[in-house]
Amino acid sequence: MTDTTSPITQIRTAAATPIAPGRTPWKHEAVGFVLGFALLALLPLVFGDTYARHILIMAFIYAIVASNWDLSLGYGGVFNFGHLALFGIGVYAYSLLTKLAGFDPWIALLASGIIATLAAIVVTIPILRLKGIYIILVTFGFAQLVMQVILSQSDITGGTQGIVRIPGLYWFDHNMVRDAKFAYFYIALALLVASTLFLRVFVRSRAGASIVALRDNEEYAISRGVSIVRQRMLTLAASAFFTGIAGAFYAAYQRNASIDVFGMSLATIILSMVLLGGTSTIYGAVVASFVLTIFAEWMADFGAWRPIITAVLIIGVMLAYPSGLAGMIRSAWGAVAGRVKRPA
Amino acid sequence: MSALAEILFGGLFQGSLYAMMAVGLALVWTTIGVFNFSHGVFMMLGAYIAWQLVEFGLPAAVAFPIAVVVMAGVGWILQASVVRPLIGRPNIVLVVVITTLAAGSLIENGALTIWGPRSKQIPALIDGNATIGGVGVSLHQIAIIVITPLILAALWMFLNRTRLGLALRAVAQNEDASHLVGLNVTALYGLAFAIAASLAGLAGIFMGGYRFMSPVMGSDPLLKALIVVVFGGISSISGPIFAAYLIGFFEAACSYYFGLYWTPAMLFGVLILTLMVRPEGIFASRSRGLA
Repeated sequence: MTDTTSPITQIRTAAATPIAPGRTPWKHEAVGFVLGFALLALLPLVFGDTYARHILIMAFIYAIVASNWDLSLGYGGVFNFGHLALFGIGVYAYSLLTKLAGFDPWIALLASGIIATLAAIVVTIPILRLKGIYIILVTFGFAQLVMQVILSQSDITGGTQGIVRIPGLYWFDHNMVRDAKFAYFYIALALLVASTLFLRVFVRSRAGASIVALRDNEEYAISRGVSIVRQRMLTLAASAFFTGIAGAFYAAYQRNASIDVFGMSLATIILSMVLLGGTSTIYGAVVASFVLTIFAEWMADFGAWRPIITAVLIIGVMLAYPSGLAGMIRSAWGAVAGRVKRPA
Repeated sequence: MSALAEILFGGLFQGSLYAMMAVGLALVWTTIGVFNFSHGVFMMLGAYIAWQLVEFGLPAAVAFPIAVVVMAGVGWILQASVVRPLIGRPNIVLVVVITTLAAGSLIENGALTIWGPRSKQIPALIDGNATIGGVGVSLHQIAIIVITPLILAALWMFLNRTRLGLALRAVAQNEDASHLVGLNVTALYGLAFAIAASLAGLAGIFMGGYRFMSPVMGSDPLLKALIVVVFGGISSISGPIFAAYLIGFFEAACSYYFGLYWTPAMLFGVLILTLMVRPEGIFASRSRGLA
């Protein structure tokens, strides 16, 4: 690319450069999507041991939660700090439905997603009139409220003890326990594929465009007939379904539920996945989840220093690249290709 | 009679601690427009520094003020490292949430590494106990109830009567105009954080005098301070102070009549209800400004 000074080249590259998310032609994205996930599907052939597969399964679960958070936080611009409560609701809904109500695990998994969606609709009602920091506070309050209710109903939910021996998932006559987590790996991957596909289709749709419009210029979007009430509810409900299912899967996989899922530390980790990956990309959150989960495992030897190193890294990346890893890759790519200006 | 005294005393005591925490949060929010999620960690760090100084053999009367001053420095440094570089960025509110959370986790784990997980206790302000209105209380708690309003009044005087305090309020009201009249806005940002951190540190010293300290001791007070600030309106200093005492009384009454288990849930229920009816908080005017 030596002829960047030519005006025609400039116009052409400017048109080919995706400026806003959703500008990539869907065929290109579909090819990348299939290739990326096909690669992930081959991983169990490389990693045969249970522990490596366990790390990957956890990365998939985090990726679902983080990428769905990106929908409300990044695309919707709704500072929903109760997202992890939706995950927690999924965990407890599955546990209670299978253990107390005796539901079939797969039906309970689906029902958990629906329950989390309903909870998201309920939490949207008080934040319909609110903006910015107030949304953070109310949704934060909602998460604490859910946690307090679960803690106080300890005869059903086990309180601080949590719930143990939750029924796991099954796959016909396949032995789920002695397959080195083979089946759970593919179920988790399938859920991640379904969730990512859903999110990408959603953000590329008209509804997705309208929630971005509301985020970027609320008054103008409303004046053009976008309903903030309906779209905000839609955003939160859409981001809740797979989050709830991820929670249910987490409970089925771990076979125990504890109140820790509502804690600040998990919320901080998942939030840093969203922001580290770069908001309003979906893929950024997925990739950052893999990077952070594997990085955390890789640093297991550092013991007490692990959270300190992680915190320093998060601050460093956020200061240098406020748009996260996606921005970092974009500017690195720009520097290499010499055609995209480094974002200021 | 004893029930009333107990609620009154408990409300005053908890309210004092909440007010100390909430005022710092509100100060940072009004001046810089960001939410400091490492505020609870400031509280913990203040208590640990005071403990360490006492451990070195300093008398409490010397150690506590030094700890408060050190905390002001910590607040300044934190502001300069994780908040100031982000000012002017479009999504600053969100990014500062994660950088202050990360900084909080850094300090918390640092404290855990340095001082270990064993709980510690610092000396009380005044030793001894008293019985007032049929309720047994410690003199330490009485001292907190008396000292806190004095400190808050001093802060109010500072913000309303001194040049520096007025400059701080000017930045809160209109940042561009403050630049134009020659105020050093970045220094005032640092000052807001320093005051907030030293108030939180003092709250930590108060708390460490009657309860065991641990590296995570700040997370619950931070949560309560958040409620207080939302409840009282985030955009003023006086609003959170009133709200802090109101919530202190509410909590004391709730735990007296309904038990400790249901109190947080009721508190959050009231919070969400308040925000649905009056999103700007019950004591707030609609504009963003101090005092």
